[in-house]
Amino acid sequence: MSNSFIDYLLRIRIPVIVFVALASFAVTYYVSRAERDGVGYTPDQPINFSHKLHAGDMKIDCQYCHTGVETTRFATIPSTQLCMNCHAVARTDRPDIIRLTEYYNSGKPIPWSRIHRIPDYAYFNHSSHITAGIQCQSCHGDIQNMEKVGQVNPFTMGACLDCHRNPEQKMPYLKQVKQGPDYCWACHR
Amino acid sequence: MAEHNKDTNNEKLYWKSIEEFQNDGVLDPSHYNEFRPGVKDDFDPSSSLNGISRRKFLTLLSASAALAAAGCTDYRDKGKLMPYNSKPEEITIGVPNHYASTCTGCENQCGILIKTREGRPIKVDGNPEHPISKGKICEKGQGSIMDLYDPSRIKSPLFNRNGIYNEISWIEADKQIIKALSELNGNTAAIISHRVFSPVALRLHSDFADRYPGVKFYYYDLFEGQSRVNAWRKCYGENSTPAIIKWEAADVWVSLEADLFGAEGNPVEQIRAHANRKDVKNAQKMNKLYAVEGRMTTTGMNSDYRLKLNTAKQYDFLMSLISDLSKQGVTSDLFSSVDFSAYDSSKLFENNSKDAKAFKQLVKDLASNRGKSIIYAGETSSEQVHILVNLLNEALGNSALYDTKTENLLSSGSASKSDWESLIKDMKSGKVKVLINYDSNPAYHLTADYGFEDALKNVGLVVSLSTLENESSFRSNYILPINHTFESWGDAQTRSGVKSLIQPVIEPLYNTRQKESILLNWMQDDITKFDAVAYHDYLKNYWLSFYFAGGANPDKWWFAALHDGVIVDTGAPDIKYTFSKDSGKDVKNSAVNSDGFTLLLTHSPTLHDGRFANNGFLQELPNSVSKITWDNYLSVSYNSAKELGIKTGSMVELDVDGRKLNVPVLIQPGMEDKTVSIDLGYGRTKSPVVAQAIGFNTISLMSKEAKISPFVYQNVKITPIPGKYELASSQDHYNYDETLIRDAHLKRHIIKEGTVAGFIANPNFLHEGPKHSQISMYPIFEYKDVKWGMNIDLNKCVGCGQCVVACNVENNIPVVGKDQVATGREMHWLRIDRYYSGTPDEPVTSVQPMMCQHCDKAPCENVCPVVATTHSPDGLNQMVYNRCVGTRYCSNNCPYKVRRFNFYDFRDHFAKGYYYQEPVNYAHNPEVTVRSRGVMEKCTFCVHRIEQARSQAKVQGRPVSGADVKTACQDACPANAITFGDQNNKESEFAKDHEHNLAYFLLEEINVKPNIAYLAKLRNTQPEGA
Repeated sequence: MSNSFIDYLLRIRIPVIVFVALASFAVTYYVSRAERDGVGYTPDQPINFSHKLHAGDMKIDCQYCHTGVETTRFATIPSTQLCMNCHAVARTDRPDIIRLTEYYNSGKPIPWSRIHRIPDYAYFNHSSHITAGIQCQSCHGDIQNMEKVGQVNPFTMGACLDCHRNPEQKMPYLKQVKQGPDYCWACHR
Repeated sequence: MAEHNKDTNNEKLYWKSIEEFQNDGVLDPSHYNEFRPGVKDDFDPSSSLNGISRRKFLTLLSASAALAAAGCTDYRDKGKLMPYNSKPEEITIGVPNHYASTCTGCENQCGILIKTREGRPIKVDGNPEHPISKGKICEKGQGSIMDLYDPSRIKSPLFNRNGIYNEISWIEADKQIIKALSELNGNTAAIISHRVFSPVALRLHSDFADRYPGVKFYYYDLFEGQSRVNAWRKCYGENSTPAIIKWEAADVWVSLEADLFGAEGNPVEQIRAHANRKDVKNAQKMNKLYAVEGRMTTTGMNSDYRLKLNTAKQYDFLMSLISDLSKQGVTSDLFSSVDFSAYDSSKLFENNSKDAKAFKQLVKDLASNRGKSIIYAGETSSEQVHILVNLLNEALGNSALYDTKTENLLSSGSASKSDWESLIKDMKSGKVKVLINYDSNPAYHLTADYGFEDALKNVGLVVSLSTLENESSFRSNYILPINHTFESWGDAQTRSGVKSLIQPVIEPLYNTRQKESILLNWMQDDITKFDAVAYHDYLKNYWLSFYFAGGANPDKWWFAALHDGVIVDTGAPDIKYTFSKDSGKDVKNSAVNSDGFTLLLTHSPTLHDGRFANNGFLQELPNSVSKITWDNYLSVSYNSAKELGIKTGSMVELDVDGRKLNVPVLIQPGMEDKTVSIDLGYGRTKSPVVAQAIGFNTISLMSKEAKISPFVYQNVKITPIPGKYELASSQDHYNYDETLIRDAHLKRHIIKEGTVAGFIANPNFLHEGPKHSQISMYPIFEYKDVKWGMNIDLNKCVGCGQCVVACNVENNIPVVGKDQVATGREMHWLRIDRYYSGTPDEPVTSVQPMMCQHCDKAPCENVCPVVATTHSPDGLNQMVYNRCVGTRYCSNNCPYKVRRFNFYDFRDHFAKGYYYQEPVNYAHNPEVTVRSRGVMEKCTFCVHRIEQARSQAKVQGRPVSGADVKTACQDACPANAITFGDQNNKESEFAKDHEHNLAYFLLEEINVKPNIAYLAKLRNTQPEGA
């Protein structure tokens, strides 16, 4: 093997290979980041429920359906019975409402597709965030304008800490805001 | 050996096992061997992988890659969210509900609160409204959650066809049984049940016997305390029942072979009373506890004075006590009814021995505390001993401590020996056509000389009602699965004035029925119309007719009663106990004078009569004295073992009047020579897998003709036989008080003790002497808000282990199995260390709960290469499972040895994944991560409860305070020895206790700044010569 070939290998070929590999990794990493974090995930639902109609146009308070969000860890998906509070009489002729009524009468739960999910080892608490005055939209996006709900923000630990450490930047609407906890057991136990 | 006991500073030198005590200067191999024998590299790649060729490996690799590719689904799919169709009103997702009920695990029938999450019971606590248990519950009650979710529960009715069990329908089974019951024609049917404490169930039984003439109920329990009851009735009349003792009012407690803090009476009540009298803030008022016993019990460990006494010599002991008391000038006409002239303490105890001195002190204390002391004999004692105890208490005026407001109710009572004998005779003659084991196990519990199993062959139809397979169901034609108590309705009453209710907290998990409903259904004309709530109506009607005082809304009254779970009546007329003066006349010693071994069969606080044998939590709870798990063993004294030439782990043959059993030996410090003891309830032969081959069935040593009591046998022959047996103990690993340098050991001060008199004279005695100057290379962190801490009062703690079970249930701690405990891999976050000092003949024992100390300068944190363990701003040592890579450096660097490593996914590993099956996962606390293989874990100070309290406080707009949080161990501690709170709130009682004169921190000199303060134990002993 000639000296010049090794020289070529060391000075050009290998650096180029390494650069291409790193560059493609970096590009893929950043381009696919949102996808990997689940941003933009908008699954089909068994019933085409419109948050835009209910929360946006009709201005029904979030907590009419998502009870418990102020007092417990969970925002909770409302029970079918709660839908029937209105839809026993409202719009009973629409196909989706007919489907809803069928679910209700069958006694089976509606299998909603899950959109937001944090891992089981993270214990997120809705109540402490809501009582601090943080709006639903800060994490869930402009839900009142969504015909079909999708994920808007990444639900990663980095995203959590981003707000916990800089709440005044992330939530300028809050007048008095303290930093959120950033020790491990605040969320993981 | 003697060198050990006396060090130069005249301080106690603690030792933890006989092996440690014996070896003089030579270190136990376990102290320098990194691994215990039996620990092997389970992950040896050469053993399992080298059989695969390169080609095969590549084939497998590509096959799995192809499979993975084929298995690809939508990677963004996050599953489904299933809301309720219509949400039950009382459920809020994420918020637990508590339902009041009653524990039916033993005859105490304590009130409980069952915590449920989204309809699943996950934890059992005591019901604070219950006047007896007062918010605490023993280990059996706490562990019973595992019985509900036992994967081996019988799931539908079974029919035995030639030894093979086939599933059948309830209707089919009911029809066959009803047919047999209706065609008795002068023959009889026997229903064998444990004793019943439910007034409603008793009425149901009598209704049932009316409906089917010829049906007779037989009630029994292995521990029915019959000798106590018989003795009491001889002293206080046929209708009287043994009085309830106002323990708290007694200044001197004398326990005669009674494990008051173990399994005797109601341990929860007794531990609480004891703790209330061991309050350091009221040191003048501390009680004096004497334990007079042949074996070593939890009570003996915690006593102020312990006298060793051969179990067969209790009669002599009491007579000597009377003799010495009268010599002291205590006179009573009751004394003249017994002939004690031949007895004298000098014949019982060697002159000037520790026991003789303690006896003298006992006589002095009894004489000077008349009316304020109590003598209490255990359930194993003979009738004669109980009569003498009653007589002594009466003569000393101690009957003033008998509770006159409430009395014990015996409810169903129990079948006598002659009842059983005539039943067996009838069974043999074929007169008994139907035999129903009504949630009972007579084939295991009845002594072999009854010949029950033999007689069973002539019974036409045998039916077993049971939750689990057992020795009796094994011989049945039909097995009918019944509900767990948590799925049942019911009530209970063990004392007058206190009635408690049982309500279901979950729908039956399987095709099971409540045992009372089964009887109720059989009483109907049309048995196909089973109604699961019929027993509820039966119960409610009874209660309304008997206890409802009237009012507009009986339903409201009923719901209120269910809500509270207990109804307390007051205002009943005072109970009078009139001692008949001649009671002492006929007493004579039932024990013979002999030099042979005395065998004492004992009541296990965990397995009870064997019904909890299939419960991994209870099997793995270390015995509070020996720290042995998963076994029963013969406890032998140090000298007797020497005499017999046996060691811990040797096998011996026990020969009790010809009944033989081979058992392993444990040398137990503090045992009386020539007295041996072994637990009952082990050695189940027909049981699901957890109890299989665990321990030895010592019921086979019992006889219905026992002379002293069913639990005490004299002249037992003990013959060493070849063979070794491994006892899995949780004590001898984690020798954190051991160092290679003996002298350093003396200065460690892990246990500090004093005397009450010493403390009163000099409250600061603990902190005198030179202090370590503590400097640190790390900057001091300022804890601005709360700083969590814990106090453990060693005066109150008796080492019962209920905190350990509470912690296991709360924190999803797995059962690891005997083999893993033997290699030191038990996962308990909280353990109770037990130390002996002195000689194995007369040890002084100390106990100490030990868990993560949440050190301010935690040594574990410095060495973690992946920062998986860090410190929180509220003073907690955090462990993050997801970061942990399992180097175990932290455990190596922990001075307290409280970290636990998941060598396996233990749920998967134990008994071939027994606890990996449905529905065990229902029992998990959803607030605590279930850890998997390869991560470290340890006590979290119940951080999920802390964070819960934090967010609660936040919702309510106030700062979190120390009083908001109670840890699981604190909740469970019947002595209230554990308190938890905020050290920074200097005004709080907690913070004051944290800096109490008696508070000390472990291994203070290494400057890790632990956050658990131990309050040093004060023994209420008389100073020498006083």
